[in-house]
Amino acid sequence: MLGYYVGMALRSVRRNVALTALMIVAVAVGIGASMTLLTALRALSGDPIPAKSARLYSVRVDNWGPDAPNNAMLSDLVSYTDAMALLRAQRGIRQSAMYETTFGITPASGDANPFTATARVAGRDFFAMFDAPFASGAAWSAADDEQRAAVAVIGAHLADRLFPNGGAVGRNVLLGERSYRIVGVLKPWHFQPRVYDLSSRLYQETEDVFVPLSTAVDRQLHTMGGSYCDHAVGTVFADTLRSECRWLQFWVELPDPAAAKAYRRFVENYAAQQRSAGRFHWPPNVALLDVNAALRAAKMVPDEMRVSTVAAFGFLVVCLVNATGLMLAMLERRAGELSIRRAVGASRGQIFAQCLAEASAVGIGGGVLGLGLTALGLAFERLILREDYARLVDLNLDAVWTTFGLAVITVTVAALYPAWNASRLQPAWKLKAE
Amino acid sequence: MEIAPVLRALTHRKIGVVLIVAQIALSVAILANSVSIVQQRQGLMRRPSGLDEANTFSLTNQFTGSSSDLSARIRTDLAALRAIPGVIDATAVQSFPLRGYGAATTVTLRPDAKSPFNAAEYSLTLNGLHTWDMKLIAGRNFHADEVKDFWLGISNGAPPTAIITRALAQRLFPHGGALGQNVYLGTSAPTQIIGIVERAQTPWAAGSAWGTFGPEESLLVPFQWVSPILAYVVRTEPGRNDAVLALAPKRLFAVSRARVISDAQTFADTRAEQYRSDRALGLVLTVVCGLLLAVTAFGVIALTSYWVSQRRRQIGLRRAVGARRLDIVQYFQVENLLISGFGAALGVALGFAGNAWLVSAFEMVRMSVAYVIAAAAALLVLSQVAVLWPALRAAALPPVAAIRWQ
Amino acid sequence: MLKMTHLSKVYRTEVVETYALRDFSIHVKEGEFVAVTGPSGSGKTTFLTIAGLLEEFTGGQYQLDGADVHGLNDNQRSRLRNQKIGFIFQSFNLIPDLNVFDNVDVPLRYRRLPGAERRKRINEALERVGLSARAKHYPAELSGGQQQRVAIARALAGGPRLLLADEPTGNLDTQMARGVMQLLEELHRDGATIVMVTHDPELAARAQREVRIVDGQVIDLAAPARLVENPTSHPAA
Repeated sequence: MLGYYVGMALRSVRRNVALTALMIVAVAVGIGASMTLLTALRALSGDPIPAKSARLYSVRVDNWGPDAPNNAMLSDLVSYTDAMALLRAQRGIRQSAMYETTFGITPASGDANPFTATARVAGRDFFAMFDAPFASGAAWSAADDEQRAAVAVIGAHLADRLFPNGGAVGRNVLLGERSYRIVGVLKPWHFQPRVYDLSSRLYQETEDVFVPLSTAVDRQLHTMGGSYCDHAVGTVFADTLRSECRWLQFWVELPDPAAAKAYRRFVENYAAQQRSAGRFHWPPNVALLDVNAALRAAKMVPDEMRVSTVAAFGFLVVCLVNATGLMLAMLERRAGELSIRRAVGASRGQIFAQCLAEASAVGIGGGVLGLGLTALGLAFERLILREDYARLVDLNLDAVWTTFGLAVITVTVAALYPAWNASRLQPAWKLKAE
Repeated sequence: MEIAPVLRALTHRKIGVVLIVAQIALSVAILANSVSIVQQRQGLMRRPSGLDEANTFSLTNQFTGSSSDLSARIRTDLAALRAIPGVIDATAVQSFPLRGYGAATTVTLRPDAKSPFNAAEYSLTLNGLHTWDMKLIAGRNFHADEVKDFWLGISNGAPPTAIITRALAQRLFPHGGALGQNVYLGTSAPTQIIGIVERAQTPWAAGSAWGTFGPEESLLVPFQWVSPILAYVVRTEPGRNDAVLALAPKRLFAVSRARVISDAQTFADTRAEQYRSDRALGLVLTVVCGLLLAVTAFGVIALTSYWVSQRRRQIGLRRAVGARRLDIVQYFQVENLLISGFGAALGVALGFAGNAWLVSAFEMVRMSVAYVIAAAAALLVLSQVAVLWPALRAAALPPVAAIRWQ
Repeated sequence: MLKMTHLSKVYRTEVVETYALRDFSIHVKEGEFVAVTGPSGSGKTTFLTIAGLLEEFTGGQYQLDGADVHGLNDNQRSRLRNQKIGFIFQSFNLIPDLNVFDNVDVPLRYRRLPGAERRKRINEALERVGLSARAKHYPAELSGGQQQRVAIARALAGGPRLLLADEPTGNLDTQMARGVMQLLEELHRDGATIVMVTHDPELAARAQREVRIVDGQVIDLAAPARLVENPTSHPAA
């Protein structure tokens, strides 16, 4: 029966080319607009590491107290003192304290200009925690962390730039003033949003260079990322380490919610100890946020995106209402045919089904055109969006299916009333005037 | 043209009426809110930063190699920049208005105050005000002995003096008299307000992310920012901006190759980049509204055409008993006005409801009544224009249609 | 086959109540060919729409093929129409964008017959009305008489127990009308039960029996010969 309905649907489309085309265009335009914005919104609000997002936690410790200015919300940054204490405790499966810095890199060949590389200062666990994919080599060893070794892992892009002929692992690279031995090279790594550092641009590419925290601190590499400090820190780098400045992220990997609860208790106990030791003068104020909670807290998707998406979906509703009107007109035109069908024994259900099948045909047409318009819309968006957002906005397979689903659902919903209306037609005795 | 019979006729095609009313109402609501948002954003985008925008450019400079003599290298660079013909002045800073990132500080009126104000903090030297073309409306510029180096963000104490913006002065001292007062920047040592400038937008003035202080609540402190990465801001004579911008990196490389220069751009480009989201939002909403109006117009045309074809007999009959073409056109126009008028009225209510939701969910600004009225009027006109085509077709029907049409 | 007893049909609008049929009784036996005549507006068409289960009646009884059809829901009525009744309309009522074959196919589709069975029945029906060669033509390419034959084929294809015809020759010229009438007579000879509404006395005379409807009532249940036998039913009596 379905085959018959589809066949009839195609005939109807052929017969009512103008109306059908208008309906397809109306649906496609609505779908195109809303899918364009939805795709962008989803790209920006995606979970960067779905397989592990419930096991990775950002740890936050209040080292300023409730009376401190501007301390309403626990920041994603902690002090060096707290980061080191948590790191030394080794209570998670893996853990890493980290911060961002930049290196000026002078290429070996004299005529090339120096360039800037962004760097993540972290522990060896960082790579396994965030599933950083290695093309060759591996993360540095625990011993390297321990011994403040001058080692580095570099990104695919930098490896290509420095060593176009490959074989980067084992070579040395001059980062800033010092030389580092490359122990690993990553594959191109798209980790977005970059949830592990919420104080810099979330949609930037991953870093070019990774070096051990112990080494960076030893070499007094100052943070170039987010930092909360006051004007009385001191005069040298060691003063920053001793200070209550907040400038490091601390992430821990835990196997399950029970472990997370236990870990939270451990951090609370730590804060309580700091209180009894006289460093904190307030009850423990700590937080453990998993990947998605951290992203939510960072309010990373701009309101502009959401408002545009709301507007686009409002527009889709208008298109849907429009399609309902057109469908009504189209089926009304075919009232004669449908009532003949009723006369020769088609039940209401069969007429209803046939009308919905026709609607689905229009929906698929609207989906195809809508997909084209979405691609066009995304191209337009890439032109007007900030560069780091624009890179993310792309038509993926997921969006293709959503587009089709949305088109068919939209048109079917739009057709519900007209189809029901048509199915209530009295079986015709005469194809009369009026 | 009498309305009562038109209304009675309408009750026979309820669903079609409901569809047009719904389309018009939704369109009014979406259009009004979109226009309101776009207008409001454009207002934000037009606010001045305080700099001499047309004649200012900036570039980010990262020193490579040894960082031990940074202070001297910065001074050499600045001298080289000032030597370029057409340059009025140059300064080396961590941040400047609309840069997108920078420093912020707490400001309290007493050292032990619990509820602080926040403000953007710019490290600026003696040339700072001159380079940024900021007018002191009260007080004085820094003295040479007040300016200290601020190494890599490590500070060994609060600055003794500060210049603040008029906006910050009004916030801290609503009753005036800010000049000469002491404030505290997170330490127990006082900082004296020695000057007030008309305006200096914060680095985040374009965004809504930094919500704890206003877009012009900035504080200038007498520091030379010393760091491997900093920005050179250069002010040029009128008309020389682009030429100097092109020359500046070459001059700096001539001083030393051990550097990376990036983001060399005019202030107009900085501004465009910072307001990119707002511009994108405006463009997207404009496109959506354009499509919306087109689709709504087509919806009116399609449904009215359908009604015309349904009523050919009736129209022919009217023509047969003496209705003029104009009467037929008017009939459809009055009918359309009734429907879209109702839709527009509903749209006004829907528009306000939608706005209330946007305000609460997205911190958007409340919409003024004028936008809703304008949107409703726009859709009434659009709907009247759209109905003309099917109405004229109906009027063109010959009176014999009453008989001939099956 | 078709038996209506004291049937009534009332059309109600807000202001008036019109009896289209009142105290209407008729009995058509299996294998009969009955002509239903009457002046315009007498209720002929109403009778036919009720007989064909296109409309419901207000009061009385209606038995189709021995089963009471009162109170059947829409789906059951659709199924009865589909399986037991074949319609022949004055204006043919073919679907213009389907070809002859597909038009005849329409009722069979709703019966969910397998493809081979449908093809067999369609070909047989088209052969029966002498239009096998035109299976791929569209209605617009056929003459009125041929269109009506297609409509008859569509009515026959389902193997109905009862054929209902409404002015089957009303839109045809004399020549074509004669052909269609001959076809109906042939079908009757082959055993079909036919009820035909017409206002043409010549056509009515060719039926086995004529029933006359005036003002929604059957006033004449027999051929003139029977009138004499049963004088009590004469209106003049």
